[in-house]
Amino acid sequence: MEAKKKVEPQYLPPEVYLSLEDIVGKEYITQERAILETYSKFSIDITGYLKKHAKDPSNIPACVVLPSTTEEVQAIVRLANKHKIPFVPFTNGQLGIANYPTKPVPTIFIHFSRMNKILEINTKTMAAKIQPYVDYGQLQADAMKVGLWNGGTPLSTSLCKISSQTALAGLYQTSMKYGTLGKNIISLKMVLPDGEILKTGSSSVDSVDDFWEYAPGPDIYGLFRGCAGTLGIITELTTKLHPWAGEKELPEPPAGRPSIRTYREDKYDHAPPPKLHRLYWVEYNDIDSEIKALREVAHSGIGIGLNAAGIYNTYYCSTTQEQTIKRTKENFFPPYNFYVICTGITSHKQLDYADKVINKIIKETGGTLLSKDHKPEVLKVLATWNLDCIRHVCGYRMSRYSYLDTWFLSGVPAVGKDAQEIWSEAINTIGETYITDRGGVDTTPFLYASDPCGRNFFTEADVYPNPIDPKSLQQAQQLMMFSIGKTIGKKIGPGITAFGASFEPLTSFFPEMGPNVHLFMRKLRKVFDPNGVCSPGRQIFTKEELQAVPPPVIEAINQLRQMNGLDPIDVSKSQ
Amino acid sequence: MTLKVQLEKIVGPQNVFDDQATLVKYSKDQSFVSPAKPDFVIFPQSTEEIQEITRLANQTKTPLIPFSSGLNFYGATIPSNSGIIINLSKMDKILSIDEENWFVVVEPGVTYEQLQDELNKNKLRAMIPLGVSPKRTVLSSTLERDPALAAASFEYGNDLMLDTEIILPEGDLFRTGLWASGGRPGSHMGPVRALLYRFFTAAQGTFGIMTKMALQVEYLPELREIFFIPFSSLTDSLEAIKQIQRKEIGLECFLLNRFNLASLFCKDWNIPQEFPTRNVPSEHFKELIDVLPPWVLIICLTGSPRFPEEKISYEKDALMNISSKLNINVFSTIPPLENADEYFSGLLIRPWDILKKFCFKGSVHSLSFKSPLKRVPEFESIIHKASEEHNYSIRHIGGYLLPIERGRAVHLEFDFHCDISNPEEVKQVRDLYFSCSEELIKMGAFFDRPYGDWAEMMYKRTGTYTKKLKELKDEIDPHHIMNPGKLCF
Repeated sequence: MEAKKKVEPQYLPPEVYLSLEDIVGKEYITQERAILETYSKFSIDITGYLKKHAKDPSNIPACVVLPSTTEEVQAIVRLANKHKIPFVPFTNGQLGIANYPTKPVPTIFIHFSRMNKILEINTKTMAAKIQPYVDYGQLQADAMKVGLWNGGTPLSTSLCKISSQTALAGLYQTSMKYGTLGKNIISLKMVLPDGEILKTGSSSVDSVDDFWEYAPGPDIYGLFRGCAGTLGIITELTTKLHPWAGEKELPEPPAGRPSIRTYREDKYDHAPPPKLHRLYWVEYNDIDSEIKALREVAHSGIGIGLNAAGIYNTYYCSTTQEQTIKRTKENFFPPYNFYVICTGITSHKQLDYADKVINKIIKETGGTLLSKDHKPEVLKVLATWNLDCIRHVCGYRMSRYSYLDTWFLSGVPAVGKDAQEIWSEAINTIGETYITDRGGVDTTPFLYASDPCGRNFFTEADVYPNPIDPKSLQQAQQLMMFSIGKTIGKKIGPGITAFGASFEPLTSFFPEMGPNVHLFMRKLRKVFDPNGVCSPGRQIFTKEELQAVPPPVIEAINQLRQMNGLDPIDVSKSQ
Repeated sequence: MTLKVQLEKIVGPQNVFDDQATLVKYSKDQSFVSPAKPDFVIFPQSTEEIQEITRLANQTKTPLIPFSSGLNFYGATIPSNSGIIINLSKMDKILSIDEENWFVVVEPGVTYEQLQDELNKNKLRAMIPLGVSPKRTVLSSTLERDPALAAASFEYGNDLMLDTEIILPEGDLFRTGLWASGGRPGSHMGPVRALLYRFFTAAQGTFGIMTKMALQVEYLPELREIFFIPFSSLTDSLEAIKQIQRKEIGLECFLLNRFNLASLFCKDWNIPQEFPTRNVPSEHFKELIDVLPPWVLIICLTGSPRFPEEKISYEKDALMNISSKLNINVFSTIPPLENADEYFSGLLIRPWDILKKFCFKGSVHSLSFKSPLKRVPEFESIIHKASEEHNYSIRHIGGYLLPIERGRAVHLEFDFHCDISNPEEVKQVRDLYFSCSEELIKMGAFFDRPYGDWAEMMYKRTGTYTKKLKELKDEIDPHHIMNPGKLCF
């Protein structure tokens, strides 16, 4: 019988480890496996799971350090540069792809759990200065006390750290009014991959207040948004706040936001909306009518959020997996539905006005409002959203079974229909890994208005493979890759966002994007990370890294390209 | 083959100019930036031609200066190190108007007037900055971060840029936003880094030549109601601005001082065709400046597509509540003028009449910067003090305050005026302008668009940021051919 393969942990050279101890103190560094597992956990990443199955040691960092100041981060980064040791910034691992080591060499994990303070809430400039481990819920709770808020929390829950999302994500239930996090950053203080400190926005200039999001001239922040921690480490950021019409405190369990268990209680899970807020749920018979209505609402000037949650309501609004499956099978939620979040920032009369407008649009577009007279039992279950549309918690329920990979698209409202077509073709060709994979095929795709006037909608399809079955995981990957290739090959227009084509090996293997976006991004990496030590290979390969991609991976991607009418890539000739 | 012949081969002989009259014309603008002549002025007509020109310029190490309307008043297109002016005005097509999703795609030569004329047919509006010329190009104005008149609104007045197409300094075609995936436009968010376009803003063409831009446009309201609140000083207005903005009342909201108001309403003046222009003495202007309030807050409530009256009504109620609490008067005109609301109703959509103030002396030299609301009085007093020291009348300073994103920040413009044919006056205003700029920057006024001499004043105060910009320049434009001599390059 073949001996069971063991993962051989990798260690840092002892002198490097000792130097790190000197920087952060002995109690804030470790190379113990059990602790490393805890601090480097990534919950929703297929590649990570497959690495675990393959006993790939690159999945495990050599050590975790917990700095408490910008200066300590700077010292760690300088040390790593001196010894050419890769490092990876890490918050809470909500976004798996951003976290695991990407090179099979000893890697330092820099964990920010000690840098968790709100440094200032400035009511005059409506801004909050925070450290990298501050989450959305934490900031909201403090800001609301002074009549302000940050404009929303992301789909991946209010526990996400704002700094991580600045580098990658940040789409809110309320993005129709407040845009995504990208438009809500005033400044970043970053430790660059070579150890230098860079500030963006007006604070880039000595003696200027930290109030304006553009630095003098070209805006380097524009290069950082979406860089997924590859161009530096955020150690402080200033985010915009907005006027808040609701109460100073939202109902929150004593255990704090992570507690899914306590959120099952009605006082949290079915609480009414915040003061001066209302939610409207609308049902349609078909996707075309729904898309038309979404556009009309977005153009009407009412509301702060406009979203269709599709099949995912079966997760968000169900407290057990059995309930999710039952509601999925029974089509408990109307297949084509969306909700509008309205608020009375100007006055309560603003809400009355919004009420009149939404009812008119529903009438014009052939929709039906969920109410005590129409599907009251559904409306009652959807009450989970009353608070979650402002401070999202129930998104965690999506990871209850195994929410492991995601495919994003964005574009004008019709992107919902494009997404449905592509995703249906993928499922019909490759097959589903789980019953809830069919979200966006049989019902409304998850469709979120992500900027004012609804010019841009964000749509998502999620896959729920069995994490202990490598075949199921591989099938999930195939579903994603099929859809990405289809989108680029068809040039239908919607963009594949963060998890899609701006991560290697896709960046280098789809030079159609940009075009040649890989060449531009390679230049950025060269400027900011000359030693290639900051989350190397995650977002853009160097030429040498590209040449080292294993032939089976190249073959698989080239097959995907050819399947979608694109010529294969010859890595040896790639620029 | 000479450079001229090579250029003629690319864009055609009829589109290449090197006669002295043309070169002199492109060597200066109305700013204090020192004149410098280009070697050629050329008019490409396609993205491909621009790519070829860029590749040629890299081979010959010839500077390239992107130019569209020439209506940047701060010297951004004066060729500091000679080279080739690429005049993009012949690329002037509105490529599409998406009526369903409210955005347009324009070439670099499309002007605000041209775009708004077309949008009118679709009941849409471009979000236009106050004080641009009707002939100013939409693309360069947006790219240079001219703040739209509706900037007080977080949603509708800021970050208007969606997809872009850029020729990078070495001649490569590059796209941002949805365009980056090769399909239809409509969002700044695409497959790659959603805010990449911001790197190319306020760059004065130093990182490439933008050949197409998709940008958002808005609903053209059929119903609007405009109100005016006079103030005896700028400081007195700040609490009202704050309270109105925190309640998100109105779309446009801004302050003008009496110099600017008198310029708008002066019957003797028209919008000049050229800048600088000749001065036009006006008794009417003098009369107006004597009777108008020192500062007036202008606020426009706009109706939405459905039930417009009711939307205006609830906003008006909220405005009146604030005025009652603060004990300030809200008017439907600017006392003592009549029907100012009617006038502003047109001006807000096509806000170029303010350029009439060029007729006061012929040239206008504006200090354009950002500040937190609370520091406005401090910066105003620096300008007043410097004006007194330079014997420049405070009554002859144009003043404009634009709240941005509900008052989180404000855009400020204070301008000085001089007759360029009068060397003494030019010296007086030039000295005042630079002394004010230095003092303001020293005290923390934020010149986020560092034109001309402001660049050095700002960049010497940014350490790593400037260093990284220079490294990026070396990597992206290795021969430094794109508009050399600007910013910190």
